[in-house]
Amino acid sequence: MKTRNFLAAFAIAALLPLGSAQAQNLESMTAAELLPLAQKEGKVTVYAFTSRIAQIEKAFEAAYPGIDVVPLDVSSTQMIARLKSEAQAGVVNADVAYVSDAPVVYTELVAKGMLLPYVPTDIAARVPDEHEKPLLANRLSTKVLMYNEEANPSGPPVRNLWELTKPEWKGKVVLVDPNLRGDYLDFMAEVVLRSSDMEKAYQAAFGKPFVLDKANRNAGEQWIAALWANGPVLVRNTDAVNDAVGKKGQANPPIGITTYSDRRDNAKESRALQVANAVEPSPGILFPAYLSVVKGTKNPAAARLLIRFMMGDDSPTGGPGFAPFYVPGDYATRTDIQQPKDAIPLDQFRAWRMDPIKTAGVRQDVSDFILSLK
Amino acid sequence: MTALTWPVASGWRRGMSPTLMLGLALCAILAVLVAAPLLTVALATVSEGRGLSVWQQVFAGRIAQNFLWSPLANTMVIGVLVALGTIAVGGFLAWLVVLTDVPFRRTIGVLATLPYMIPSFAAAFAWGVIFRNERVGGQVGVLAELGIAVPDWLAWGMTPTLLVLIAHYYSLAFLLIAAALASVNADLIEAGTMTGARPSRILIGITLPVVIPAILSAGSLAFAGAVSNFAAPAILGLPVGMHTLSTRLYGAISTGQVERGYVLAIVLIAVAALVLWASNRVMAGRRSFATISGKGGRKRRFTLGPWRWPLLAFAALILALTTLMPLLALLVSSLTLRTGDIFSGYTLHFWIGGSDPAYAQGQAGILRNPETLSAIGMTLAFAASVAVVSMVLGLAIAYGITRLKRHAIGSLLNQLAFLPALVPGIAFGAAYIALFGAPIGPFPALYSTFALLVIAGAAYTLPFTVQSGRAAMEQVAGELEDSARMTGAGFPRRLLAIFLPLTARSLMAGGVLTFVKILRDLSLVVLLFTPATPVLSVLAYRYASEGFLQFGNAITALITVVALASTLLAQRLQGKAEPWLDEDRGETR
Repeated sequence: MKTRNFLAAFAIAALLPLGSAQAQNLESMTAAELLPLAQKEGKVTVYAFTSRIAQIEKAFEAAYPGIDVVPLDVSSTQMIARLKSEAQAGVVNADVAYVSDAPVVYTELVAKGMLLPYVPTDIAARVPDEHEKPLLANRLSTKVLMYNEEANPSGPPVRNLWELTKPEWKGKVVLVDPNLRGDYLDFMAEVVLRSSDMEKAYQAAFGKPFVLDKANRNAGEQWIAALWANGPVLVRNTDAVNDAVGKKGQANPPIGITTYSDRRDNAKESRALQVANAVEPSPGILFPAYLSVVKGTKNPAAARLLIRFMMGDDSPTGGPGFAPFYVPGDYATRTDIQQPKDAIPLDQFRAWRMDPIKTAGVRQDVSDFILSLK
Repeated sequence: MTALTWPVASGWRRGMSPTLMLGLALCAILAVLVAAPLLTVALATVSEGRGLSVWQQVFAGRIAQNFLWSPLANTMVIGVLVALGTIAVGGFLAWLVVLTDVPFRRTIGVLATLPYMIPSFAAAFAWGVIFRNERVGGQVGVLAELGIAVPDWLAWGMTPTLLVLIAHYYSLAFLLIAAALASVNADLIEAGTMTGARPSRILIGITLPVVIPAILSAGSLAFAGAVSNFAAPAILGLPVGMHTLSTRLYGAISTGQVERGYVLAIVLIAVAALVLWASNRVMAGRRSFATISGKGGRKRRFTLGPWRWPLLAFAALILALTTLMPLLALLVSSLTLRTGDIFSGYTLHFWIGGSDPAYAQGQAGILRNPETLSAIGMTLAFAASVAVVSMVLGLAIAYGITRLKRHAIGSLLNQLAFLPALVPGIAFGAAYIALFGAPIGPFPALYSTFALLVIAGAAYTLPFTVQSGRAAMEQVAGELEDSARMTGAGFPRRLLAIFLPLTARSLMAGGVLTFVKILRDLSLVVLLFTPATPVLSVLAYRYASEGFLQFGNAITALITVVALASTLLAQRLQGKAEPWLDEDRGETR
């Protein structure tokens, strides 16, 4: 037995250089070339920040029988903490990370080499550069102000973010606690970064020039403080926001910050969610959803095959691998995927595009500021 | 025996006794399992050039109020009120069972010990099934579904947290107070009655002095348990922004603010440990009272007269609300399409349904979902492994403590083994991540391994298993072992031929109870959870916090049933563990 173990170890050691050479080849392989290797691996674990990963699991396993997808649906904030602990421990549980929270991903994971970029060769030309670096994004997602269309048939009940700080919206603004969810923190960080826009919007809302309170450092902080003083309802996940804001049959529904594409479930969940695109200075943020290979993955071919799959096929809708994201309110980064109907075209969508590096610089500070508010 | 008191160094020179070597080896194990993780947490808050900056931020920075002080205040309120509440409920039931002629005393006595064995998140989820209102969106509970407006203070926050925790911890108070009441000397009470003392005078003069130590220790245990509980405030308080130290600790670590989390862990340990330590000090001076044992004659029970049945009904209500109701609520809600709508739309989907996009975003029922199935296997294996490892280690330590009673190593063993009892589970989990989250020298990191879970679980349950081990050892008369030794039987032979056969039942019971402790635990594993080591309790918590209430309730119902069945098994193994029920006590002995 011992000799055999020794021989096996020797064989593995001898094959190691071969393995790493192969890893380099993986980058340039097509899906068809990856497939036999991926089938040999037989399994791919993906950490994903969206529950829609369950549909990807089904579609992928139907397209590539014999490769088991193991999904873990976990918020980006928790995923990042977990990937860091795992890297520190030298443990690799995940092969693919599907993650938002670009500022933290950029500064803490990509910069330290924990996540590796992968752009399938046939995809490179179809996605603008800005969505390939530092990691490949398959779509842009949103955190924006949304309202109940049924109760407000003539359009959004507010025209300006500052209106949310007025008494009529006391206790009627719903969002996830930004200290629990990174995308909400990014929303708040963006408001702080766009303080000059917020100052102008203040003038529009109240008809008088903005005056900075001593307690705050800029108009963004002042808006956050005023919003918090107005008793917003902090919930634990976007589903709770969607139900509170969107459920049909409410006479006087609250307004909330949530995901534009959650409109896709309006019929199924009996909701009437709609985005308040016209709101000044902006309804919220657009942010990339990154697909990347986890460093040290034991299933490098299956990991890449899954990423390629989630970038969509050659049909105008992106096919089954993109289907869960082919919904109004999600914006494919691939320029050759047609936009779904019923959504505001990207160039007319007024959400802020955030700059991950700038946001990373103020994020912790904004987080502490929010934590210090009652 | 005198050889044992020599200093270690000279012990080496003169040839160390095997017992001392065992003691030292056990100390080394405990140093790694208990002392090292706690030290690492403390060091991590100041290492890498942080100095005291993290402490400064947490205690005096602009986050201090909401990050530390308000949660600390909530934590203290919960600790004190839960302690008082459990003493009231547990004390009432103990009085009823031990001192009165209420009917069905035996049944009450058995049922009153069960709530502690039901996971505290079971009661918290069950509360949601009934009282959940629209405040945080998502599904509502039975009352709201029936159109009854549930006020926020009843649905969320402090009130439900307190009630759920009192329901969970009163068993402890019941056990301790009942045992103390049973030891009240009946002769004294009789003498008091004959000399014409009023019942109130007997209560204050005779009963209370004997019971006060038990009340104190019950209160401090409930306090320590309540301040460290994670499940109840996380499920009922967090959704409305009520934080305790444990929820803040979890939030900080799970969002990557690790060092700040560790500072909270240390504060939490300090709070729990201080109270337990103080109560031990107070008790130390009073313990002599508790040892006055009842050798008196047949106990005369207090006749309740017309109050017999109303008081029975009241006790039955308490017991039903804290044992049967939670289980029932969880089971029923796991069978409904909407959790609160218990009168229509039943489905078995959440148990055995296949993946269907119409339900819970395509999640399959818990008995069809590979993730939950592997978690069931993993959790049972985890709890069973902990029970075995902890019992073996606990026995060895108990042996070491007994044999090295007058030696420094013995008392060091004793203190190290008791230390985990002072450390809240969630802080213990944090400590294990701090120490085992990275490779140590040549040893790989244990993060995300089954081994780490088992080691953490074993260390966490040591105070209990050491106690069971000592109790088992004391059952075996010293003469038996001495005579065996004199006839030349070595230690292994004495262990196999005398000790194990005589104590097998009580050791088994200890093992089963350890199994239950792990099975129903959330706070220890909530931070150690990884996809490679799925544990049912965390899965239930995650499902519920993502709004998939039925899945969470189904898993919790499953855990509760297994925990209750195991507890009843353990009670059978222990035989008559309720001396206060013994009608003939004092006459047959």
